[in-house]
Amino acid sequence: MKLIKYLSFAVTGLLLSAMSFAQTADEIVTKHINAIGGIDNWKKVNSMRQEATLSVQGMDIPVVISAVHNKATKQEYTVMGMTGYSIITAEGGWNFNPMQGKTKPEPITQDELKYGKDQLDLQGDFVDYKAKGHSIQLMEKEDVEGVECLKLKLTRKSGNESIFFFDPKTYYIVRTSSKISANGQEVESVVNLSNYQKLPEGIVVPHTIENSAIPAPITLNKVIVNGKIDEAVFKVVTQ
Amino acid sequence: MNISFKSIGITAYCMVIFSAVAAQSEVNSSSFGTLEARVLGPGTMSGRISSIEGVEAENGKTLYIGTAGGGIWKTTNAGASFKPVFDKYCQSIGAIAIDQKNPKVIYAGTGESNMRNSVSIGNGFYKSTDAGSNWSKTGALDSTEHIAKIAIDPSNSNTIYVAAPGPLWSDSKHRGLYKSVDAGKTFEKILYISEKAGCADVSIDPSNPNTLYATTWEFRRTPYSFSSGGEGSGIWKSVDAGKTWKQLENGLPSKPIGRTALAISPSSPNNLIAIVEAKQTGLYISSDGGASWKPQSASLNVVSRPFYFSTLVIDPKDSKRVYRPAYSFSYSSDGGYSFAEASGDGGWVHSDHHALWINPSNTNQLYLGTDGGVYMSLDRGATWTFIQNLPVGQFYHVDHDMGKPYKVFGGLQDNGSWVAPSSTAGGVANGDWKPIYGGDGFWVVPDPTDPNIAYAESQGGDVNRIDVRTVKSVSIRPLQTNAEEKLRWNWNTPIVTGKGNPKNLYTAAQYLYRSIDQGRNWQKISPDLTTNDKKKQEQENNGGLSADNTSAENHTTIFTIAESPLDEKTIWVGTDDGNLQLTRDGGKTWTNTAVNINGTGIPAQTWVSSIEPSHVSKEIVYATFDNHMYGDHNTYAAKSTDGGKTWKAFSSNEFSGFAHKIIEDPDDLLIATHGRGIMVVDDISAMRGLTNEILAKDVHLFETGDITLSTGSFGNGGFPSTGGWVAPNAPSIKPFQYFFKERITSGTVKLEIHDAEGKLVQSIPGTNRKGINRVTWTQRIAPPKTATGATKPDNGGAIAPQVLPGNYSLTLKVGKDEYKQPFRLVHEESSTFTLAERKAQYAAAMQLYNLHTSLASIVAGIADKQKTYKEDVAKLKNKKSIALGNEYLTALETLRGTLIPTKQTSIFADETRLREDITQVYQAICFNEAGPSNLQLESIKTLTSRVEAAEKKALEINAQFEANVKKAIDKEKIK
Repeated sequence: MKLIKYLSFAVTGLLLSAMSFAQTADEIVTKHINAIGGIDNWKKVNSMRQEATLSVQGMDIPVVISAVHNKATKQEYTVMGMTGYSIITAEGGWNFNPMQGKTKPEPITQDELKYGKDQLDLQGDFVDYKAKGHSIQLMEKEDVEGVECLKLKLTRKSGNESIFFFDPKTYYIVRTSSKISANGQEVESVVNLSNYQKLPEGIVVPHTIENSAIPAPITLNKVIVNGKIDEAVFKVVTQ
Repeated sequence: MNISFKSIGITAYCMVIFSAVAAQSEVNSSSFGTLEARVLGPGTMSGRISSIEGVEAENGKTLYIGTAGGGIWKTTNAGASFKPVFDKYCQSIGAIAIDQKNPKVIYAGTGESNMRNSVSIGNGFYKSTDAGSNWSKTGALDSTEHIAKIAIDPSNSNTIYVAAPGPLWSDSKHRGLYKSVDAGKTFEKILYISEKAGCADVSIDPSNPNTLYATTWEFRRTPYSFSSGGEGSGIWKSVDAGKTWKQLENGLPSKPIGRTALAISPSSPNNLIAIVEAKQTGLYISSDGGASWKPQSASLNVVSRPFYFSTLVIDPKDSKRVYRPAYSFSYSSDGGYSFAEASGDGGWVHSDHHALWINPSNTNQLYLGTDGGVYMSLDRGATWTFIQNLPVGQFYHVDHDMGKPYKVFGGLQDNGSWVAPSSTAGGVANGDWKPIYGGDGFWVVPDPTDPNIAYAESQGGDVNRIDVRTVKSVSIRPLQTNAEEKLRWNWNTPIVTGKGNPKNLYTAAQYLYRSIDQGRNWQKISPDLTTNDKKKQEQENNGGLSADNTSAENHTTIFTIAESPLDEKTIWVGTDDGNLQLTRDGGKTWTNTAVNINGTGIPAQTWVSSIEPSHVSKEIVYATFDNHMYGDHNTYAAKSTDGGKTWKAFSSNEFSGFAHKIIEDPDDLLIATHGRGIMVVDDISAMRGLTNEILAKDVHLFETGDITLSTGSFGNGGFPSTGGWVAPNAPSIKPFQYFFKERITSGTVKLEIHDAEGKLVQSIPGTNRKGINRVTWTQRIAPPKTATGATKPDNGGAIAPQVLPGNYSLTLKVGKDEYKQPFRLVHEESSTFTLAERKAQYAAAMQLYNLHTSLASIVAGIADKQKTYKEDVAKLKNKKSIALGNEYLTALETLRGTLIPTKQTSIFADETRLREDITQVYQAICFNEAGPSNLQLESIKTLTSRVEAAEKKALEINAQFEANVKKAIDKEKIK
């Protein structure tokens, strides 16, 4: 199923949502971080478990994302009783897709891993971005679906670049756009974020994520911050 | 139609529609939300290419293609696929340059410089620092209108030269050679001749970047003339990076000269070649850095149309290899002394060439930009392969028939007249487009009374009746009679059928002609309706130094004709010299209403680009006007409600550019772009429905009306496209539509469908966009829960029966708020799928749906027992008990293995079990637009008994073993 193939991209969207973190560029960034709960609250985030649903014309695909800050992330999805996953750790990345008849995980490509590793920062790119070695650049405003958005380019220490579009009223991120290199080709990943909700921990997280590669939005049903996550779930069994 | 547009969506095109809401300030392009255009293409004839640049370090893989009216397209795979990267900006591209030291830096000069009559106008200079993803306007060159070349100093990327011929239609100071020393932030004009002469070309000596060559060009168009050449044209050299300039003349034709194409040999930079437009145009070479010149070839392709063909390229490694892409493609192997033509092997190459890029790593590989798209050669230009996936055709007009789906008709700049379906199986691909007439194409009009006939033309009134089945044409051009003046045909001569009486066919020179027999016979029904200003009729003297009279400057002609849909005797005629004439008696008497328009601010001589008599009242009429050929960039559109006696102009910040077309309340919107092919916005009823009342609401759920049940308009031929442009089809199911005043940022948006009894049928996520949102429901319930635990997936769990016709209700949930609309699903009766058959289909599908559900339950039951006893049985010690426990588990697994695949994991190894057998029939029935067959129904009976048997068997196994196994476990006190 095409759906499954793209889920790993979807997951990228979910992770971006978690790191939702922009006038000068720094003012925008500060206002944004304040809008989504403030730097202190975000710096307390060490793990996150997100339970979500991808709903395609009545077929609900549960998606669970477990992530430990700067260590590892695992995204699981269950389609018609078969559960696949992808894992990214500081060491490597793997996909397991039983829908394709696979019995063990396969390593992801170096291109995917390069992009994926950036997603391990659960506190978001913009929190302490300078200390992390990232840089930001203010760009011209741009209309995103009727909202005249503030626009920042983030260049991560890894070299990966993403464009962030901020709603000038709320300073929430409305859209991210990233170019991912895959087999020498540029693949653009566009993720729209909405339905921002405040969690008990004081952080504000988008609960609806639309990824350009997936035919339906993903809705978060439950987000557990700093709950215990057994790191054994990130172990990859390839035998 | 030189529409410059902001984005691929509908936003840019709204300038062409003036419905009742257009005057409301609340409405802007974002109000239309998800109403977006389908880009119908095609890629088969593509369009004019003005610039091609490649990233040298990437061996010809990454290229940027600049087009005359379709923006910039980027490929990272040598042309296998392209993406448009300049959609938000001016679509007319004059020049592109890549900083080869840092190829993420790209410059684009807007405003093409192939200065034909229909050329589009640019709005400045742009820079990208991320390989084309994002652009910003820089350098304050906004008023140059046309940019011919950008050159980057190979030794210092901050130094950039921009050659700007400048405005075509007016005097201007905004022309000349500009230099930036801060990578495009600011520019200084370093070579300026006059308000009439700009800069057409610039080259940098790669071995000594302080040495520059530039050519200046004096030229001008008016609506009725064109002139290339004058005292302002010249060839210049600077040896101090542009501070001082010296004119090169030794051995060159004496002044006046016209446009000069100049090339410098990259491998031997003292060698220069130049094609100099003069009384005797020819190619000249210099081997001493321009100090002296001698004439070489003056073959046809070398000297043809210098104002239009200004490309001349020398091979990066071989200074003797010279390419002259022009009317055709010719090349020289002896430094320009003689030229050979490209071979025809491999297929026809479109004429009229404007861009050439040679891969410096492999100089056999060339990319050529023509009036009909991009070609690639791997043998130094001897043969060419067409790149079929650039939908950049320059249409002048679009029309449609009344078929279902309707066909689209249109004519293109230098690319003839074409017909294509608006939707077809597999999407509208290049091969679905059929050429029906050659030359430049303009009006292509289906005969509303005869589906086999269309009318098409080539430039200057070459009107034909065409049988679209055979593509045989009959010339029906009206001819001059003795008593008349010579007929003056517009380049883009109107051909129009009657909206009041579809039998009426019109065309016009300075007179209006009507035929009621498909153009076999004509009746002249007007006097000269133009100003007949003789000063504007001297086209035979056109071109300046090079004679050029191709009908492109024909003037004082009729340009637009419109018959009232309410009265065939009411006919409006607009001319290219500002007359707007009306007859109320079928042409017996005429009134020029132009004088009444003057009060609106629309200048007197302004070209009347379109007229739309209202469908509502004979007194209401809309018109657009285009005055850019007098250097006036205002947007002019006006409405009269009293038959043209008084006019009121429209104005809105949302409208920009030259107004070409106005339409009253269309259903679908067909847009002929001059550079991005045909675009279709399907079903704009929601846009038409945006009343003030709705616009004031936060949320509005539009009435849905009846929705026809459909499994799709077309089948699936089984093979995807193997390349070329393929347009998506119109939606086969009418979407639900709602309006949000603002983007919904908090709370979810959901749509729920309930049946007449109020039972929830389906719940689907909604979109949250500002403006109109459209969400399609597949008209199916949620798929069944199918048996899990198999080693392979099965489609059954993703397939759902289509619901029956009847009354339903739609609930739009926005956060905690709910909005409701009743709607009806209707069956479209046909001989191949009756209502009775649909009901039988539904019943059968639901039986199979339930079989899946039952089977899932049986399999889950088995798995449950296995889970319960597996571990405990493994712990048993008593041999008999072990045997009994294993027998139970084996019996369960054996049964499970008959119900779902439990062995094979490979998707290439069939392991068909009961679940797959159910799905085979279920899938067929759910997707067939047909009643179930006798054998399908028979099969359902068999499958039902197999499910029943499985259930029975599971019960038997449990009855036989479970109690005893449990007892054995308990006995050994296993916990």
